[in-house]
Amino acid sequence: MFNSTPNSRDLPHEDSGFLETLVAAHQAPLVRYATRLLGGDADRARDVVQDTFVKLMGQPPAALNGHAVEWLFTVCRHRALDVLRKEGRMKRFEEGQAERVAAAEPRPGRTLEQAETQAAVLQLIDRLPPNQQEVVRLKFQNGFSYKEISRITEHSVSNVGFLIHTAVARLRTEFAAQRP
Amino acid sequence: MTTNDSRLLPDDPRLTAYALDELEAAERAAVEAAVRADPALQAAVTEIRATAMQLEAVFGAETAAAAAEPGAKPELRPAAILPGRDSRRANGGDYDEGKSGGVLLKFPRLYFMVGGLAAACFAVVVALRRDELDARQHARTVALETAMKDRAAAARSVVVQMPLAEIAAATSATAAVADSAPKTEMAAAAVASAPALSADRLAPRDLSLIGQAAANRAPKTVTAGTFTFSGTPVEPARQREAAAPPAASAQPATYTSNEAKIRGLAANAVGGVVLGSTGGAAGGIAFDTFTVAAPGRGGIAAPPPAPADRLHTGNTESYSFFRDNPFVGAAANPFSTFAVDVDTASYSNVRRFLSLRRLPAPDAVRIEELVNYFPYRYPAPQGPAPFAAALEVAEAPWAPQHRLVRIGLKGREVAPEARPAANLVFLVDVSGSMNQPNKLPLVKDSLRKLLGKLRPDDRVAIVTYAGQSGLALPSTPVARSAEILAALEALRPAGATNGGMGIHLAYDIAKANFAADGVNRVVLCTDGDFNVGVSSPGDLVRLVEEKAKSNVFLTVLGFGMGNLKDGTLEQLADQGNGQYGYIDTAREADKLFVEEVTSTLVTIAKDVKIQVEFNPAKVASYRLIGYENRLLAKEDFNNDKVDAGEVGAGHTVTALYEIVPVGVETPVVVGAVDERRYQAVAPAAPGTSASGELLTVKLRYKEPTGEVSRKLEFPLTDSGRRFPEASADFRFAAAVAEFGMILRKSEFRGTATMGDVIAWAAAGAANPADDARGYRSEFLDLARQAQELLKAE
Repeated sequence: MFNSTPNSRDLPHEDSGFLETLVAAHQAPLVRYATRLLGGDADRARDVVQDTFVKLMGQPPAALNGHAVEWLFTVCRHRALDVLRKEGRMKRFEEGQAERVAAAEPRPGRTLEQAETQAAVLQLIDRLPPNQQEVVRLKFQNGFSYKEISRITEHSVSNVGFLIHTAVARLRTEFAAQRP
Repeated sequence: MTTNDSRLLPDDPRLTAYALDELEAAERAAVEAAVRADPALQAAVTEIRATAMQLEAVFGAETAAAAAEPGAKPELRPAAILPGRDSRRANGGDYDEGKSGGVLLKFPRLYFMVGGLAAACFAVVVALRRDELDARQHARTVALETAMKDRAAAARSVVVQMPLAEIAAATSATAAVADSAPKTEMAAAAVASAPALSADRLAPRDLSLIGQAAANRAPKTVTAGTFTFSGTPVEPARQREAAAPPAASAQPATYTSNEAKIRGLAANAVGGVVLGSTGGAAGGIAFDTFTVAAPGRGGIAAPPPAPADRLHTGNTESYSFFRDNPFVGAAANPFSTFAVDVDTASYSNVRRFLSLRRLPAPDAVRIEELVNYFPYRYPAPQGPAPFAAALEVAEAPWAPQHRLVRIGLKGREVAPEARPAANLVFLVDVSGSMNQPNKLPLVKDSLRKLLGKLRPDDRVAIVTYAGQSGLALPSTPVARSAEILAALEALRPAGATNGGMGIHLAYDIAKANFAADGVNRVVLCTDGDFNVGVSSPGDLVRLVEEKAKSNVFLTVLGFGMGNLKDGTLEQLADQGNGQYGYIDTAREADKLFVEEVTSTLVTIAKDVKIQVEFNPAKVASYRLIGYENRLLAKEDFNNDKVDAGEVGAGHTVTALYEIVPVGVETPVVVGAVDERRYQAVAPAAPGTSASGELLTVKLRYKEPTGEVSRKLEFPLTDSGRRFPEASADFRFAAAVAEFGMILRKSEFRGTATMGDVIAWAAAGAANPADDARGYRSEFLDLARQAQELLKAE
């Protein structure tokens, strides 16, 4: 019955409640996003997200009108990359390297109660290069458009399109191969 | 059909972008042309979309699982206290609450706790910023005590029973103020969605003002709008404020923040869960009452217990607000233009309300859909035109000085054997919310019935949307009905609802199996609650509008109750060249899929518009009854680009105008203008306005796959009949219209009562030939039911 969460991106951004709505709706997705960018470091990720919201408070809501969520992801990404850079972990993001680093075991502490196919699909996704994983998740988990992803990640729109296309094509064949 | 001359390969990123609806219009058109010409590309697009749906489902499940997982509690970390900027931020505690309240019910209790604390923590931050810490520049962190977590969890599930005092007592720092803490009524009051913080700080009188303010923030649709705070006066926080030392910078930070946190928590806990409970206390009907407002966020839609039993809170049905059409002066505005509508959803929805012994929300009552629910015995068209018009005029029974004009259209009948082959795609919502006896099982039952009426050469495909991936059954001839039935049977509810992807896929399959000169139709079965992906109603409507250009028609069927998104579904049907029905019972499924199956499937004309030109010599002012959301500008009538309504084979369409004749004192008229000063009003041309004609009905329609409209004209002269002399169809339609006006509490309902409605309808249903299927007798029962409920009100 109660499964209609209004899509917060559709809400008009009046200033009352604006911030609170954003935090409630996007804190968890942002932490997940940052955790992945930071290679699984959830504590750092929470710091990053906290910083992001601090920055948000300094923004006049009018300035964010209509793209606050995109703004949050963009700032969150910058902060996460800053952290990586400071700590010399930047190589995680260099292409080519990626595959090994990201072919992550299931995250620690993660109970594997979900349906097996579910887990299998996630594993396939985890095997994608990190930059593909990132855009795939932004697209299909966070629901951003190519353009929004382009602004968040600073890839060009066509590059975003290429990354998603490549990832989807690979997943398609792998899904097909998995089917009995 | 174009060829794939752009040589698009299945492995082109543009194809992926196209499948995901990411292309700009120009490029999209190019790719679409290529796809249309190349089956390989079509297959690729279908597969990409299926993959996309699967990814969304997997990620969605991951998100849900992560939220419920003990290890993942990002929210539990210490909340930072931040220097503030904008004090208005502080009122959000209740605001996010509505939201999380929505999701929370689906997750285990643990998540309740996490979510509650998260929101609470935030409330702390902002509360502090506003009240106590304006002067403080440095952030401080506050740890949450375990005890508080447990308390919060408890508060979440039993809020109403738990006085705030107990929550307060749970933390040592505030024990001192516990005795002045409020009682349960406070909890109820806070539900009024007064901003959490303000609720804490203001006296009861002020609270009601806030309630009003909240109501004002909401769209006008909140009909149960009076915010009466019954019961014990609420003196919560003021006393607490008094008891607690005023927040000074000398005050230890932990104390202050705890205090604020408690408030946050309390307000929060109250906001989310109380809805049902307060309602229950008020009238025992909170469980499936409805909100009329569609504000799209929880904070506003929760008025406190209303005095009567029409408590409009507790679940998430939504109806779009509309105002009755007013009287319009015929001299200044001789044209009235609207799109026909053969939807019937509103009638079955009203029936559902009444059978539950409840009056429907006024905005759930669309009069044209009530009137059009019933078949009328208008003469069938002769000759090539697909329509015949049956015009009639008599006294308006609810305002005897006024005239009532009935415009009846009858579409060409198509014999079931003569019906062209059908290519149907059932697009079935199998999201978690469909897991109710009157939803998915009724969907299956309805589709089985439809299957029974199809011919072996018809084709059926089944697309699902929700957690499971897209195609449940590829397009299959009905000759292999065992396979279809098995696929139908195998549908299971699971997951969240992404209408967008499903719609893409369904239309793709319909197009891939397009039956030239046949019936090509997507049948969408849903409760309308799209909550993933392209889910803003605007985006969905645009998507469907785009898809409708492919000459695939749409039938939207609403099921169930509790979260029916009536407005969204109606819009989808309107924009998608379709019709909207609401199936509340197996009986209604019979009507749409067995008795009227040909009308439901075969469209005989599209973009059907009516323009009525009134003769100002006879008509002072007029009012179209119903069709409020179908009105068109007079210029739209001749503009073939303007979308309008579709009519199925044998459908009857009925529209009623109430007319104030010249010489009768007219009610308030909209659009009355001063006399023209510079333009002489042309004297009526002899033989037209002096002709005695009351009005002329002009009709425009397109053939189902045509692009150019044709026009028909029918004049009408008033012979001065009284109401009892009118035809049975006329009297029955008038009764149904008045029934709707009374339920809408319309200012135009005139002097008549529900008793009159019953008398008129009984006369209109007296001849068994007028009521072969018993719909009219059922209406009589409903009217009696409504009469009782109105008396009790």
